[in-house]
Parts: sequence; C-alpha cells; structure tokens
Amino acid sequence: MLSCFIGLLLVFATYSGYINFKNQNEIRAKYQTEARQDWVNNPDKHPHRMAHYGNFAFRPKSALSVFDFGMESFLGNTIFLEAHVQNTTNFSEAEFSTGLLRFGEISIAMILQVLLPLLIFFLGFGCIATERENGTLKILLSQGLSWRKLILGKSLGITSVVMILYLPVIIITILTWILLQKIKINLDETMRLLLLSVSYFLYLSIFSIIAVVVSAVSKTSKNALTSLIGLWLLFTILLPRASQSLGAYLYEIPSKAKFYAQIEADVIKTGDSHNTNDPHYKALKDSLLAVYKVDSVQQLPFNYSGFQMREGERISASIYNIHLAKLRDIYANQNSFSKIIAFVNPFLAIKNLSMALAETDYASYQDFQDQAEAYRYHISQEMNELQIKYISNKAKNSASKINIIDKKNWEASDDFVYKPSKISLVFANEWLSILSLIAWILLLYFMIIEMSKTLKAI
Amino acid sequence: MIRLVFINFFRSKSVKIGMIFIVLAGFISLFVGKQFSSKTQKHIAETAHFQKENLLRNAAYFKAEIGYVLYYAKFALVNHAPTISGLAIGQRDVNSSIKSLTIRNLEAQKYDAELNNPYNLLIGNIDFSFVLIYLFPLLIIAFTYNIISEEKESGTWKIVSVQSNNTFYFILQLFAVRLVTILFVLFVLLSFAIPFLKIPLDKSLFLFTSVAIFYILFWFGLCFWIASLHRNSNFNAVISLSLWIALIIILPAAINNYLVNKYPVPEALDTTLKQRKGYHEKWDMDKNITMNAFYAHYPQYKKYTLPQTDFSWQAYYPMQQMGDDASAKQAKELREKLQQREKASKAIAQFIPTLHTQIQLNDIVQTGMANQLRFLDKTSQFHEKLRLYFYPKIFEESPVANEKWENFKIETFTDNTTVSLARLLMPVLFFVLVFMGLGWWNFRRKVY
Repeated sequence: MLSCFIGLLLVFATYSGYINFKNQNEIRAKYQTEARQDWVNNPDKHPHRMAHYGNFAFRPKSALSVFDFGMESFLGNTIFLEAHVQNTTNFSEAEFSTGLLRFGEISIAMILQVLLPLLIFFLGFGCIATERENGTLKILLSQGLSWRKLILGKSLGITSVVMILYLPVIIITILTWILLQKIKINLDETMRLLLLSVSYFLYLSIFSIIAVVVSAVSKTSKNALTSLIGLWLLFTILLPRASQSLGAYLYEIPSKAKFYAQIEADVIKTGDSHNTNDPHYKALKDSLLAVYKVDSVQQLPFNYSGFQMREGERISASIYNIHLAKLRDIYANQNSFSKIIAFVNPFLAIKNLSMALAETDYASYQDFQDQAEAYRYHISQEMNELQIKYISNKAKNSASKINIIDKKNWEASDDFVYKPSKISLVFANEWLSILSLIAWILLLYFMIIEMSKTLKAI
Repeated sequence: MIRLVFINFFRSKSVKIGMIFIVLAGFISLFVGKQFSSKTQKHIAETAHFQKENLLRNAAYFKAEIGYVLYYAKFALVNHAPTISGLAIGQRDVNSSIKSLTIRNLEAQKYDAELNNPYNLLIGNIDFSFVLIYLFPLLIIAFTYNIISEEKESGTWKIVSVQSNNTFYFILQLFAVRLVTILFVLFVLLSFAIPFLKIPLDKSLFLFTSVAIFYILFWFGLCFWIASLHRNSNFNAVISLSLWIALIIILPAAINNYLVNKYPVPEALDTTLKQRKGYHEKWDMDKNITMNAFYAHYPQYKKYTLPQTDFSWQAYYPMQQMGDDASAKQAKELREKLQQREKASKAIAQFIPTLHTQIQLNDIVQTGMANQLRFLDKTSQFHEKLRLYFYPKIFEESPVANEKWENFKIETFTDNTTVSLARLLMPVLFFVLVFMGLGWWNFRRKVY
C-alpha cells in the first residue's frame, strides 16, 4: 500500500515538475524575446543611452530540473544588465513564497532521496530480526547458510523489490527528458542521466544493506525498526540542518550595505571618474594628451568621455569580481560542513550530486551569473567603443538629439544566450559525493564480512 | 497511582535520551534565533552608517546639483523585527528586512534580492519553530506509540487492567503524564528564551505559546487515537511516523507544488520589462510628452517649467517617474497575485495543522509573507514620500548645502497588525477534538 502511495506521488512529482518546467521556461523565453525586441526597436540614439537601456538575462531551467528541483526555487532568475552596475539576480520563487516552500518540494529526486529509504527501512527492519524472534534463523543457519550469504541475499531481495519502483521512475525520467529535449540528445546530457541512474541505484542499495545489517544485529524487530527510524531521521532531517546551520553560524555573510560600500570604496581608491583631480584619471588624461600632442581632451581625435567610461567599467568590473569571489568563498565555507558530512551521510552525498547533475545547484547558478556578467561587460564595452568611435568629442551629454548613431548597431550586438554548463563542472565540485557513495558500498561490504564472523543466531 | 505512573515513565532510558535530545535541540534553536536577531541588528547599523557616509560624500562631490546627489543617494527603510521573531525566522532570511532606495524609478529596485547563500535557504534554519513543528511530534510519538501495545506484548496489560478500577482512566493518566512532561519542556525552553532573546511579555508571546500548546495537543490527540486502535507496537510506530511524514513533508510540499503551478508570477518579469521601456523610451521622445504625463500625475508641479537645455534633472526625474507609471498596472497585478497566493495557502493550511501552525507562528512574530507584503506596500509609500519631498527641490535647483543630509536617518516600519486568537486556534482545536473523540469512542468500546 505504501508503495502504491509512493507510486502515485511519483506521478504527481513528475507531472508538477513538468508543468513547472514548461510554465517557467515559456515565461522566461517570452520575456527574453520581448526584452530583446525592446532593445532592437530602439531608435537612433547615443550608445551610452543604450548601455543604460541594458539587457536582461533570464535563467532557463535545465531539462533535468524536472527530475530534481534542487535549489531552483531559492535562485533568482532575472538579472538586469546595464553599464556601471552589477545588479542582483531577482525574483526567486522563495521571495514570493508564503513560507510553505520551506517544508520542501515534491520532486522525483526528493521521493527517491527521502521516501524510498524509509520505505526500504519499513520493508527491511524485520527481515532477519523476525526470523530470530520466530526461531527460524537458527534453522536457516544450521542448514549451512552462511551469514554473509544471508545478509547479501536479503539485501538483494529488498533492492529488487525497490527496483520495481525505481526502474519505472528512471524510464519515465528518460522519456520525459527525451520529450523535453525534442529528441535532440547530446552526449553531456546523456552522461548526466546515466550517472544519475547509477548513483541512485547505489544510494538505494546502501539503504537496503543498512536495513538488513541493522535487522541482523537487533534482538527484536521492534528494536530494529526504532533504530532504523532514528537513523533515517538523523540522515534526512537532522544532520543536513545541523551541518548547514553550523556553517552559517561560523561564517558570516556581510550585509548588502557593507558589501556594496566596500566595492564603492575600492573603486574610488583605484580611480574615481567623478573627481576631476583623481590621480588615476589625471595620469591617463595627461598621457593621452602627450601622445596625441594636444592640450585639451576636446582636441583628441576620439570621444574622451567614452574612453574614460571604458576605463571606469574595466576598473569597477574587476573590483566587483574580486569582492564577489570573496563572497562566494564565504558561501563555500558555509557549505563545507554539508560537503564533508556528505561523506558520513549518503543522503547529503546524493542530494549534492543529484542537484549538480540536474544543473539545479549553486555551481550551475554561478555559471549562469558569470555568463550574464561577462555578457553585461561585453555589451557595456561595446557601447563604449561605439561612443569612442562615432560620437563627437564636443558632445556634452547623451541627451542631445545630435549625438546619436544608427539603430542598426543595436541589432548588430549579440543577444544573451545561456550556454549550459559542462559535466566536468560536476566532477570538479562533487567528486567527494561520488567518492562517498562508493565508500559506503565498500564499507558495508567489509562490515558484512566482519560481522559474519561474530553474529549470533539468538 | 499517578505518582507511580510518573516514576515508571521516567525510569525508561529512551525517555531520558528523548528529553535530553529535545532540550539540546531547543537550546541550539534559541542560539540560532539569537544569532539571526543580532545579525539583523548589525546589518541595520551598517546600513545606517554607510547611508550617512554615502550621503555626505555625494553632497560634497556634487555641490552644485541636487539632482546629481539624488541620483546616488540611498535612503533605507527597515522592517522592524520584534525580538520574538528569533523564535520563528520564517521568510525573513529570504526577504531582506532592509530596503535601500534611491528616489529614481521604484519598480527597478523594489525587488532587489538580498545577499544570500541559497544552500542555507534550501536546507532551512534550526529555529524554535522547527524544533516545535518537526521534533516535538517525534518525541510525542516516541513517548506514546507503545504505551499500551508494549504492555500487551510483554503480557502485563492484563494485570494492569485487572488491578485498576477504571482502565480508561488509567490510560488517560498515562497520556496525562506524558503531556505534562512535554508541556513542561516547552515551558522550560520558552522561559529560557524570554530573557535570552529579550522577549517582552506581551500579546505576541501569549499567542505564540497558545499556538504551540495547541499544536502539541493536536499530536497527543493523534497518538491517543492511534493507541486506541489496539494494534502492535511496530504497526503503531510505522503508522505514526507515516502520519508525521505526511503532515510535515508530503502534504506541505505537494500543496506548495500545486500553488506554485497554480499561481505563477510572470507579472514580476512583466513589471520589470515595462518599467525599463517606460522610462528609457522617454529619452527619444519630445520632453513635453513626459512633462505632460508627469503634470497629470502631480498637478502641484505644473508651476515649474523646464530649462532649455538638452539635459536637465528637472526632466530626468519625471522620465524616471514614467518607468513606474508605465508599469503601474503590472505592479498592481503582481501585488494581487501575491495576495492570492497568501490567501490560498492560508485557506488550505487550516486543514493541515503543521502548515497552519508554521504560517500562524510566522504571522505572530511578523516573519511571514503577510508582513512582507505590508512591508513592500510601506516601501512604496516611503519612496513616494521621499519623491514628494525632493521633487520641488530638484525643480527649484535648491542648493545642495541647504539640505541637512546627516538628518536623513534610516526609517523603521513597525507592523502593528494583530491576529485574532479564534482564527489562530480554531482549526487546530477542531482536529484535537476529533482525534480525542475518536480515541475516546474506541476506548469506550474496547480497552483490552
């Protein structure tokens, strides 16, 4: 009955994952097109006006996000990209949530990670302990069955029962994925899927063996059940929160005010374009005047203000990136406990790995943000180049209707296209999780061998 | 008799372990709450500091143009978090309690995200509401799942029922002992929290405690009913835990999936795009179009005329205003959509005590979505107030030095919305009565 219920839940999870994927990607694609259309439809104008008009990057959901929502709901999906400023990535689902979201979401991955292990424990707690209670264990062992064979056999039995649920899940996932890819299958995605299937198989096997091992060492089936429930709570509810809370407790994220104030302070220190006496820009100006042998910037053969902004963009972008890297280091430090705990907690190992494979983890999100920032920088500098080249050096500001360039330039600048991250990123970030799953299997295997020597039938 | 029941209960090793565990988790949660509160306080202090620094620096830079100062000047509004919010952090970690705004186009900055580590948000906080909603029920289940079945399994139940005059009364005593113990733990934790988090003894605390007690009663009711089914210990354990999972993991998550798909918010993206276009296209248009629209919105500024230059701040800010005016419809739709989400989840939550408790606790301590929506409304008012104050100064080109910039301190929004006790407790009370009634009915029919 429990299995039927989980089966129904899986259907619901697939359905709602699919609908959410379709809705969100349709919405995002629609506005990405609209944003581009708005950009292209701009009339002739000063390129700096276009640099401020700016672009949008909308983060598309990956096909495998149908399988594992990961931290998708906590990640923003919209960045406004304009000159001089690195805006925040806004409009995460969580910002618009009623607090319900904090109880979690139902995805296929969540069912496999949280509910199936419990089902396994419910199926397996009595598998040896009950035989012990009934006295049939003695009979089995006296007939020449070894402990090792008994434990492995029972584990295999439970695993195969679970496979009745798991295999259809994988088949449905693959079918949905093919459907979403519109039959355009690439190697990277195929490998992700393959690795997912194998990892979850290992994960479920680990729990099957744990169930049998605990059942084998427990005096009564009731003891086995309570120990297994305790273990499940520890793995899925308590340890993840405890390790992440510890990380968040020890490493503090700066306030937004401080973060941006520090960037501003560093930018001013390096070169402040608003200050007419700023040494950096003064030196730059003097060297230009010397090279072109003129005595004022108005006599330069190109637009000086564009030149100055190009320099300003270069400085502010590189300083921002330094500070962002520091911030991300704090995040990484906070997450380090969860990463290490993954080694003792297979739940965290599969959670991290699965999110990474489904491209719904923080690394994939960072990849999106980096691509968006690279694009922002590219467009801002492109607009600055246009200004340097085509705008009169006499122009006082960007408002005048004289200092404008042809609108065909807008069409000529690239649109933002997100390139999905490579699977190598997963290996780089999640090797520990992969190792953890393998280590668990080995550990359990050796435990069975060791235990076989000491276990008693009564 | 009741004294012996108490002694027997506390003799058990698992009871001692359970108690130590919950008290420990409770204390940890209070530390987490304390840290969250002090972090918020620190962020507010830093915002105040940098706001002053920023204002004074820009006022010194752009001495001649107040319009230029205001391009950069940021003014902060703080969503006041009462100290009791340390008990239920709610959505306060996702949504910033501080909005720092320039007087430019509001819709372009209203939803700017907080610096957040999404992994923290995904895993969730160990705050007191987590301990209460997730862990207390587990302890209740652990204390009661084998309350009768164990005695039956070890063969002592017959002796017990023979020796007591009223077996049903005896069962009630068994439950009462556990209920008193759990409530005692709750009170110990809360009485520690009061001085530790400096929570005032006010209505919020009273409501919070009442909701917590009713939530505990709900789980006792549920366990009482399960015990009344007279099944074996293993069955009770499996069924109790399954109910726990259904109420804490599956149902809330399923409802969340449903709501997310039912109420998607494309309005957010729509607003953003419309405000960009609404503002930027004005650069390419005749200034009079902007100014006429602006004067229509604010007739009081009709008396000012534009200087005859290509660029002027007098024309710039009205253009910025047009971004908001152009996206007003979308912004209103977004707000309505969020209200709908809030209403729908509260309505559904009435039928699920875990959800109801979480949402209501968040509301009581002002960390829920209702508070966030009010804060967003207040943010709009705050922004409008700043605009109305500065617009005349921009039009009159008021000297920068005339303004006392250091007097622009951060402002605080205090949410005084009250929650009605009946709406808080009725839904849970209903379930408490249903399960207690069912249990009582079963026990009346059969106590052995």
